[in-house]
Amino acid sequence: MSAPAITPYRSPQAVGRDGFAQLVRAEWTKLRTVRGWVIGLFLVVVLTDLMGLFAAGSSHTACITGPGRAPRTGRACAVTMPTGPGGQAVTDNYYLAGQSLAGNGSLTARVTSLTTEQASGIGPNPVASLKPGPVPWAKAGIILTASTRPGAAYAAVLVTPDHGVRMQYDYTGDVAGLPGRVSAAQPRWLRLTRAGAVVTGYDSADGRHWTRVGQVRLAGLPSSVRAGLFTTAPGWQTTSSSFGGSEGDGGPSQATATIDQVSRSGPWAGRGWPGTAVGGANLPTVGVHQAGGQFTIVGSGDIAPSSPSNGARAQTIEQHLVGVFAGLIVAIVIGVMFMTAEYRRGLIRITLAASPGRGRVLVAKALVAAAVMFVAGLVAVIIAVLGGIAVVHSQFGYVYPVTTLTAIRVVAGTALLIAVVAVLAVALGAILRRTAAAVTVGIVAVVLPYVIGIGSVLPIGVAQWLLRVSPAAGFAIEQSIPAYSQVSNSYAPAFGYYPLAPWAGFAVLCGWVALAFALAVVLIRRRDA
Amino acid sequence: MNAPVTAATVEADGLHKRFGPALALDGMSFTVQPGQVTGFVGPNGAGKSTTMRVILGLDRPDQGRALIGGRPYASLRHPLSHVGALLDAGALQPSRSARHHLLWLARSQGLGSRRVDEVIGLTGLATATGRKAGGFSLGMRQRLGIAAALLGDPPVLLLDEPFNGLDPEGIVWMRGFLRALAAEGRAVLVSSHLMSELQDTAGHLVVAGRGRVVADTSVTDLIAAASGDRVRLRTQARSEAMTVLANAGATVAATGPDTLTVTGLPAPAIVARLGESGVPFSEVAAHRATLEEAYMELTRDEVEFRAQAAAPETAR
Amino acid sequence: MKAALAAEWTKQRTVTVTGWLLLAAAVVTGLLSAAAAAAARCPAAGCGGDPARVSLAGVEAGQAAVAILAVLAISGEYTSGMIRTTLVAMPRRTSVLAAKAIVVAGLTLVAGAVGVAGSLLAGRLLLPGRGFTAGHGFAPLSLADGPVLRAAAGSVLYLMLIGLLSLGVATAVREPAVAIGAVLALLYLFPLVAHVAASQQWYRHVEQAGPMTAGLAIQATTGLPGLPIQPWAGLGVLAAWAAAALLAGGLVLRLRDA
Repeated sequence: MSAPAITPYRSPQAVGRDGFAQLVRAEWTKLRTVRGWVIGLFLVVVLTDLMGLFAAGSSHTACITGPGRAPRTGRACAVTMPTGPGGQAVTDNYYLAGQSLAGNGSLTARVTSLTTEQASGIGPNPVASLKPGPVPWAKAGIILTASTRPGAAYAAVLVTPDHGVRMQYDYTGDVAGLPGRVSAAQPRWLRLTRAGAVVTGYDSADGRHWTRVGQVRLAGLPSSVRAGLFTTAPGWQTTSSSFGGSEGDGGPSQATATIDQVSRSGPWAGRGWPGTAVGGANLPTVGVHQAGGQFTIVGSGDIAPSSPSNGARAQTIEQHLVGVFAGLIVAIVIGVMFMTAEYRRGLIRITLAASPGRGRVLVAKALVAAAVMFVAGLVAVIIAVLGGIAVVHSQFGYVYPVTTLTAIRVVAGTALLIAVVAVLAVALGAILRRTAAAVTVGIVAVVLPYVIGIGSVLPIGVAQWLLRVSPAAGFAIEQSIPAYSQVSNSYAPAFGYYPLAPWAGFAVLCGWVALAFALAVVLIRRRDA
Repeated sequence: MNAPVTAATVEADGLHKRFGPALALDGMSFTVQPGQVTGFVGPNGAGKSTTMRVILGLDRPDQGRALIGGRPYASLRHPLSHVGALLDAGALQPSRSARHHLLWLARSQGLGSRRVDEVIGLTGLATATGRKAGGFSLGMRQRLGIAAALLGDPPVLLLDEPFNGLDPEGIVWMRGFLRALAAEGRAVLVSSHLMSELQDTAGHLVVAGRGRVVADTSVTDLIAAASGDRVRLRTQARSEAMTVLANAGATVAATGPDTLTVTGLPAPAIVARLGESGVPFSEVAAHRATLEEAYMELTRDEVEFRAQAAAPETAR
Repeated sequence: MKAALAAEWTKQRTVTVTGWLLLAAAVVTGLLSAAAAAAARCPAAGCGGDPARVSLAGVEAGQAAVAILAVLAISGEYTSGMIRTTLVAMPRRTSVLAAKAIVVAGLTLVAGAVGVAGSLLAGRLLLPGRGFTAGHGFAPLSLADGPVLRAAAGSVLYLMLIGLLSLGVATAVREPAVAIGAVLALLYLFPLVAHVAASQQWYRHVEQAGPMTAGLAIQATTGLPGLPIQPWAGLGVLAAWAAAALLAGGLVLRLRDA
């Protein structure tokens, strides 16, 4: 008796595809089907933007437009700054004794002294309060500029009290020359030569042996340029920060330089060296005095990139991103819950039964969390920045301009920051498996160092250390205006200057996230579900 | 039902409750009497758990009220000495030991730790009290939940699905335990969606469906009604017997290769008819429905029950 | 109410996490205070430092542990479903919340007192070595000094009020992750917004309104006239926040189904 052949059952249904994309889709479905999490995504946008716009709106300030006048508001307080060739806001304010040069040529001069004074920032008569004081980056020397309109392209060789001879150009360029302080016993010879758009700077200690300091091509330099002798001195400020806040004090400075042995070659127009207060007279004392081939020039101001500082009535774009911390908290809450919800009712066992590749499950989860948070963050940041700029402008405020590339880095980088922190949250959820603990660790690791780091609570050194080693280093990606070594400023985290470069800070954060994620993968593989 | 209201009476009176678009309770009304186990049955989503939560003051009814011994739950002082409840056996903090879980509950009622040890003994948990409750099996958690319900030695017990997760031995224990509690004069309301669990345990049944009471009856009456006048007949001559009995005015259904179920003719009459016609048979027995069959019978014919349930409402 | 208190106290003392969090609150407060004192510097007379504030800086971190403790006291019950057991045993929901509040307040007072005492001790030992000397115009920290006593006792009360604020928020929102996020966001929101407020006027208003910014004014012992808000008034602002949170939590607990 032969048994009938049995055909094993085969499902007529097509076998579903198996792959990482399916895993990602599954996790995405999990995320979008929990209403609270979807609301959370909107909350990222709403909180970030509300706080950013509030900060922008609160920038409404009063100003005093002249000695003895009542504080005013509105258009009278409008702040403007010249824009340099590189697109950045600049200070272009110096005293020039100059002539026109209508072609190629050169200018040589000797600086024999440079002294500086500081005036009080408060009180009706700053001149009366002038007293000798250090201004490390006061400048005196020779300059060649496209025009005397503030923000024009230029190149200059100059002496400074504390930083030796420098060749500077187009506000951000800075090359060191001879070191040492200038004096009658140790004078400095300076020379600029122009060939078309190329300007070369030289210095010399004796007027015979010359060293090339630097060379620059000034884009769009007209054939007839303005060149001559100049002096300027940036305002002084001190900031003392201690627990509970920082106090700042500051005011204008002035520098007095003695320059002689002026010689020139090329098609120069005119015989004398008429004085011009480029960018306006900062103090009434500025001017030039000429006697027997010796020029004494008094100047006040600066030729430098403008950078945000304590009490400046101008905002950076990242100041509109203050709400990002709230968006991050929401991202941490959602990221953690996205993971710990698996553990709360044993869902993880179903998940891992359906996809036994545990590491892959975690990667898919992190990817979904990151992608979703990136999109939400991008929307939030774009609205915050554009809205913030609009609000500030409507109040006659000033927003520091940035290049398109910088703007993209700040906006996309901040969205990335939120995305990466969401990954950290998923990892913490997998490591700790307890919602409350994971959320707290996430917030204390990322947001707390930021809050106390920029909150002018800690001494600057401690704050910088914190923002260098903690995950909050990633906030550096928001900084749109770099710190310039040739500009005296309090580059403290409290004023928006991070100790690490934008991508370096972001890399520190990514390092922490990678560490946490690796630990999470190891643990989820090793532990029973 | 006009039984006197004692401390051991539970009344649900016209409860309505809506969760968003879903109507959870739609006029749920019944009374639980002391001295017997009352089964509270119905399909999933019939409103059993919501009713219990409303009775315990956890959910606020949109309409109607629930009373324990004539008083709303929230007005009870030391409520666990009036009502003991088991809602969700998993509802405990996993990191706390079983004994400590009972201890904080006892403290909330002004009870000492002696009572805690007593209920631990009563429910057979003595060997597991020091362990974290999070590591308990479902059956152990059910016992812990029963222990918690008994802390205040209450005259009323409300138990939501107490048989869930119990092994056969546990089910037997639970049945005996519930019967014993009822025999002491307590009102015991036990919800379940499996009728077989209540067999030989419940003396009274409240059947719920779609948020209202479908039937409120003693188990004896229900089984009698469901059994009807059906007679089971065993015979080798199935078709002959069917013809004979149909001619006699009975309804006959074949329920097996040699069995017939006869309705509309009492057993003696069947015996007489078959004898007259010379049809052989081996057994004639009045049919007795199981509780499960009676329940299926009830829920099968939904329209009829709705009409029944609506009647008292219109009368009020 | 007495029974509710006994029950809540039993609940808190029978989970190990309570002990760990209380320990964390005290240790974190003390350690961070010591770190702040070690990092502080007063190079010359008139350096503008506030030694009491420096040596109590750890409270800013210790409050996170207090917040978790308070949040878990209620939302832990929602996650496990035990809240139903609680409310069946104690149907007077306001009493339940009040009992929880008293227990949380008591526990945080103890942990806070230990942490603050450790902080002051660290400050007393470390600060003279960092330039906070009699020569620079600073007396050694001592509780016999009225303002220092106020700063210390106020910091303990501050931690307690943060606990109550967290309890209120957690009762209202139930989900522990959301509750902790909301509490920490509420605390950090005000200092950050004040930080970017360009005008001094806005800065002061924001500092006056925030639970953390106003509440920590209790730690100030120097430069009081220049503060946005005076110490006890500041603690009052935090107390108002805590009361409002508890009120909101109490209403939600009473009105919503468990």
